[in-house]
Amino acid sequence: MARVFRCSIILFISLTLFSGIALAKDLIVKQPPASLDKLYPPQSKEPKWIQQMHKMSGSFGGVFVNMKEGDWVNAEKKAQAFARVYEETSKLIPEWKDYFDLKAVKEFAATVKSHDPAKIGKASAPVGKTCGKCHGEQSVAVWTRYHWPKVDKINITDPVTDKEFKYGKFMHQISGSFYGVTVNFGEGQYDRSAKALRGFKKRYMELKSTCSKCHTNDGVKQFFVGPPIAKAFDNLKKELAADKPNPGVFWKNIGTIGKLGCKKCHLTHRSYAIIQENWEAK
Amino acid sequence: MRSKSRLYKWSVLAVVFSGLTCLFLYWLINYQPTLIPSFIVQQARQPDLMKYPEARRCAECHQDIFEAWKKSRHSVAWVSKNYIKDSEDRTKEKCLPCHIPTVVVPGVKPDPRLHQRDDGIFCVPCHVRDQVMNGPYDLFSPPHPTRKNDDYRLSKFCSTCHQKTFKEWRTTGSNQSCQSCHMKRGEGRLTQKFPLSLLHAKKEVADHSFPKGDLKKENLFIQSSFHKATLLIRLVNTTIPHRVPTADNGDPRLYVSVTFLDAAGNQVERDSAILSPQQDTALSFQKPKDLEFFAPSETQSAQIDVRYKPAWSKEKSDVTHLTVTR
Repeated sequence: MARVFRCSIILFISLTLFSGIALAKDLIVKQPPASLDKLYPPQSKEPKWIQQMHKMSGSFGGVFVNMKEGDWVNAEKKAQAFARVYEETSKLIPEWKDYFDLKAVKEFAATVKSHDPAKIGKASAPVGKTCGKCHGEQSVAVWTRYHWPKVDKINITDPVTDKEFKYGKFMHQISGSFYGVTVNFGEGQYDRSAKALRGFKKRYMELKSTCSKCHTNDGVKQFFVGPPIAKAFDNLKKELAADKPNPGVFWKNIGTIGKLGCKKCHLTHRSYAIIQENWEAK
Repeated sequence: MRSKSRLYKWSVLAVVFSGLTCLFLYWLINYQPTLIPSFIVQQARQPDLMKYPEARRCAECHQDIFEAWKKSRHSVAWVSKNYIKDSEDRTKEKCLPCHIPTVVVPGVKPDPRLHQRDDGIFCVPCHVRDQVMNGPYDLFSPPHPTRKNDDYRLSKFCSTCHQKTFKEWRTTGSNQSCQSCHMKRGEGRLTQKFPLSLLHAKKEVADHSFPKGDLKKENLFIQSSFHKATLLIRLVNTTIPHRVPTADNGDPRLYVSVTFLDAAGNQVERDSAILSPQQDTALSFQKPKDLEFFAPSETQSAQIDVRYKPAWSKEKSDVTHLTVTR
């Protein structure tokens, strides 16, 4: 048992090192090859490529789970399944065929039959290296292309002016009205700030519709545009209607909108959108 | 003379015989179809009908239903410009199951299909299950086997895709189903292809254009009054047993626009509110919704306009309007 444990540790460290080697350089995110299109909707009924990845990782990981448990019958079955799926996957995207090492996989599957954890760990290293290299170079690109819908095709009708804007331009409208609220408040122009707040709230809440263009789950709206944000808007409105608005209350509620709404949404979505924008710009 | 009289007699006999034959067939097909020998039925079967035919193939017999369906939003579920735009050239995975369902089974999310996508939501996904044509009637149809299925009269059938609307409707306790309003029945024939069209008795046929129903001022209660620095508008959806507007993923809207006027009738300010399912602001059944607008001090009156915009169009239609004075 101790031997198996030691080998698992060695295997873990070696895979981590290989991943590290693969990532210890500048990352260039290129558009994935067009041949991948056929493995994702709408050309494919299901996202077949990611399903293929799950099949591979499930069977590869299954070898080690069974090895740890001393279940060599299932370990061998998993190794055979992995070799089969790996070879199948290597034929799906011609542009990526060089990422695959079929010889290493065959050797790995054969080594599992030895029931020797040390040898298996050693034979798995070159296979893990191929996974790590492809993931390191292509994962972000695939996620960006197929798993993050593009926002550049979303048009939004501005609820204040009734004009239609591209998503990015609409974001400028939101930030414009946001600054209308904060700048006027800072200058003591509370009526102007209150008017800007009415526009800012309408534009901000319009984002609930925008979220729903991709998300079917209403929970997402609760996260970025939910009750705490609505409450912050109500508090701001109340404060700006007061004879002498309290700056502490005002900035606290502005902070709630900024941190819970703007910042969290930007942290989640902006990185991928920036990559997509760069691809589009090309 | 004699041969003429004989010919006349034979003609009368032929007409009477044909008439009786038709009556017999009418009775047989409509009331005792099980008496028809199965080998005859098998001869009349058209197997391609059970192999996912195009909507046009169904139209060869069901012309009226096909024409009604062509007018529906279901028929353009895959080809509508609005859908193509909103789904980013149809790449959004979440849209596929309901815009191109393979088979509609009540309450089960459909699998999207890879073929015949242009037909959108059409005859086959809704009516063909297990190689049998399902529908609300137990009837005899030579070209394809049929099965009576009461699901077609239930709102649950529509809930497969219209889940949110179904949940909204359920909370109202209304005894009207989706079909009561959006698939109204009228007397007609299921098929138009001669001679089967005449041999089948007339039945109540559902409207397959699936009309959304036009929102009218009679459907809404609206009340408004000025307060210190605000105009309050109360709106109630009095008659429609789901939210107004309603949609699972589309974005239909009610716009409540207010124009504030001074004593001379000049515009002082304009403001508006959006009532939409995606913004959680749609009107629930018989529950008041209060909207508050800031009214500038010089305001003497306000014009209120309520307009409706469906999910698939930018056109807004008038629902109601009123003027309120301070």
